[in-house]
Amino acid sequence: MVGQVVISGLLAGSLYAMVALGLGLIFGVMRVLNVAHGPMLMLGAYTTFWLFHWLGLSPYLSLLVSMPALFVVGVVLQRLLVRRVVDAPELSSLLLTFGVSIALVNLTQLAFTSDLRSVEYLTGAFILGPFAFSKSRVIACAFAILITAGAFWFLQKTRLGKAIRAVSQSREVAQVCGIDVQRIHMLAFGVASALAAAGGSLVAVMVAIQPEMGQMYTFKSFLVIVLGGAGNYPGALLGGLLLGLVEQLSSLFLTTQVNEAVAYILLVLVLLVRPTGLLKGRSS
Amino acid sequence: MKRAFLVGLAVVLVALALYPMQATGYGVRTMLQLFMWVALAQSWNLISGLTGYVSFGHVAFFGMGAYTAGILIGKLGWAWPAACLAGGVMAMVLAIVIGWPCLRLKGPYFAIAMLGLNEVLRVIVSYYEGLTGGGNGLSLPTLHASVPIYYAMGLVALAVTALAYLIITSRFGLRLMTIREDEVAAEAMGIDTFRHKLYAFLLSAVGPGIVGGLAARDQGYIEPLSVFPLITTITMIVMALFGGKGTIWGPVLGAVVLFAFQELVWARFIYLHQLFFGGIIVAVVLMMPRGILGVLQQKYNLPRTI
Repeated sequence: MVGQVVISGLLAGSLYAMVALGLGLIFGVMRVLNVAHGPMLMLGAYTTFWLFHWLGLSPYLSLLVSMPALFVVGVVLQRLLVRRVVDAPELSSLLLTFGVSIALVNLTQLAFTSDLRSVEYLTGAFILGPFAFSKSRVIACAFAILITAGAFWFLQKTRLGKAIRAVSQSREVAQVCGIDVQRIHMLAFGVASALAAAGGSLVAVMVAIQPEMGQMYTFKSFLVIVLGGAGNYPGALLGGLLLGLVEQLSSLFLTTQVNEAVAYILLVLVLLVRPTGLLKGRSS
Repeated sequence: MKRAFLVGLAVVLVALALYPMQATGYGVRTMLQLFMWVALAQSWNLISGLTGYVSFGHVAFFGMGAYTAGILIGKLGWAWPAACLAGGVMAMVLAIVIGWPCLRLKGPYFAIAMLGLNEVLRVIVSYYEGLTGGGNGLSLPTLHASVPIYYAMGLVALAVTALAYLIITSRFGLRLMTIREDEVAAEAMGIDTFRHKLYAFLLSAVGPGIVGGLAARDQGYIEPLSVFPLITTITMIVMALFGGKGTIWGPVLGAVVLFAFQELVWARFIYLHQLFFGGIIVAVVLMMPRGILGVLQQKYNLPRTI
C-alpha cells in the first residue's frame, strides 16, 4: 500500500516539478510571481484537446504544437505587459498577472464554454507485481522527466541557458557582460509558458479540462518553488516530488476535502520555518 | 479650500443619512454594498497601503466575520449588531494568530502566505460541518433589516475612514510609511517594525470582520466559496490602488468610481465581466500605479495627508 502510494506520489510530483520549474524560472529571472502560470497550463490542455478532437492527434504528439504555441504566447505576454512591471513592487506584478489570468479564463469560457472536456486516450493500467499504475500517469511522468531534463540541459549547457542563469543571479553583472537582458526575460517567460503548456498537454489525458482548471496549478507551483527555495532551479524538482509524495501520503489518512488543504498548510509551515526553502533560495 | 471640503463632506453625509427615506429597497441595498467596498478597500489600505506588506488574502477577515456572525445569529440566536461586532473581534484574533508569524516574512513571501492562509481557512470552514454547515452553507433566519444594516455598514465605512485619517496624520502612520519606504532604515531609527506592522494588521482586520458579519446578515446565506473568494481580495486592492493607496480618500474614491462603473456598465455584460475586470486591473497597474490621488498629489503639490 505504502509502496503504491510512494510511486503514485512520485508520478504526480514529476509533473508538479516540471510546471513549477517554469514558474520558478520567471521568478528567478524577473522577480515576478506569475499568477497566470496556471491558465497557461489550461491553454496547453485545450490545445491538446482540440487537436485530439479535430484531427485525432495523439496527446503526446500534440506536445510538439502546444509547447511552441504557448512559448509564443508567453513571449508576447512578457513583451507587451509583464516587461513593464519587472522592477515594480510585487503588488504590481501580482495584480497584473492576476488580471491577465482572469481575462484568459474568461476568453476561454467564451470561446469553448465551461463544459468539462476529456481526452479518451490510453486508459487502463500497467500491472507490476503487487502494484498497478494508470498508463497515462506513467507515460506523463516519463515525458515530464524527459522535458525537465531537456530544460536543465538547456539551462546548464547552452549559451542562452547560461545567460538565463546569469541574469537570475545578477541582472546588472549580466548586463555588463553584454547579455541582452530584455531578450533573456522574454526567452525565460516563453520557456516557462512552454513548460506549463507541456503540463497541460500531459494532464489533459487524466483530468477534466475546463477553463478554471489552471488556478490549482498556480497555487501548487507557488508552493513548490517556496518548498525548494525560490530562484533555485534544482530546488523546484525536489519541491515538486515532495509535494506529490506528501499529497499522496496524506490522502491515506485524510478525507479528500482536508487533503486539499494539505498543500496550503505545508506552504505556510515552510514559509514560517524556513522561508528560504529546503535548498537555499534567496530571501527577498 | 479646507472649509469648502468639510462643508461638502457634511452635505454628502447628511444626504446619505437621509437617503433611505426616499429610496427603494434596491437602492438601499446597492448603497449598502458600496459602503461595504469602501470599508474593505480602506481596511486593506491600512496595512498594505501604509506598510507596503501586500495582504493577498485579506478576504479571510471578511469570511471570519461572516462565519462568526452567522454562527452566533443562526445557532445561538444573538441579535445581529452584537454578532457583527463579535465578528470584528474574531477577525482581530485571527489577525494576531496570522500576523504574529507571517509579518516576519518579507516581500512576495508574505503575499503568498496570506494567499495560502485564506485557502486553509476556507477548507477548515468546509470541514467543520457541524458548526458551519460545511459546503452546504449556513442559512440565517429571515429578517428584513436592510435599512438598519445600511446605517451600520455606513458607520463602519465612516469609522474605518476616520481611522485612516487618524493614522495617516499621526506619528504612528509616519512610522508605518517609513517601514514601507525602507524597513531596514526604519529599524535603524529605532522603530519596532514588527510591533508596528502587527498593530496596523490588527486595525486592518476589524473593519472587514464587522462588514463580513453585516454582509452575512444582509444576504441571509453564506457558504465557504462565497465568503473566501480571492476575487474579493483583488477587488478591494484594485479599488484602493485606483484611488490612491496610502492616502486617506484614495480608497474611498476608488471604491465609489469602480463600484459605480460595475453597477452601471459591467452589469450589462455578464459574460464579459471578468474580461473587463482583468482589463481594468492591467490598465490601473500599468497606467496609474499611484492612483488618481497619487497623480494629483504629484501634479499639484497636494499635501501627503489627503
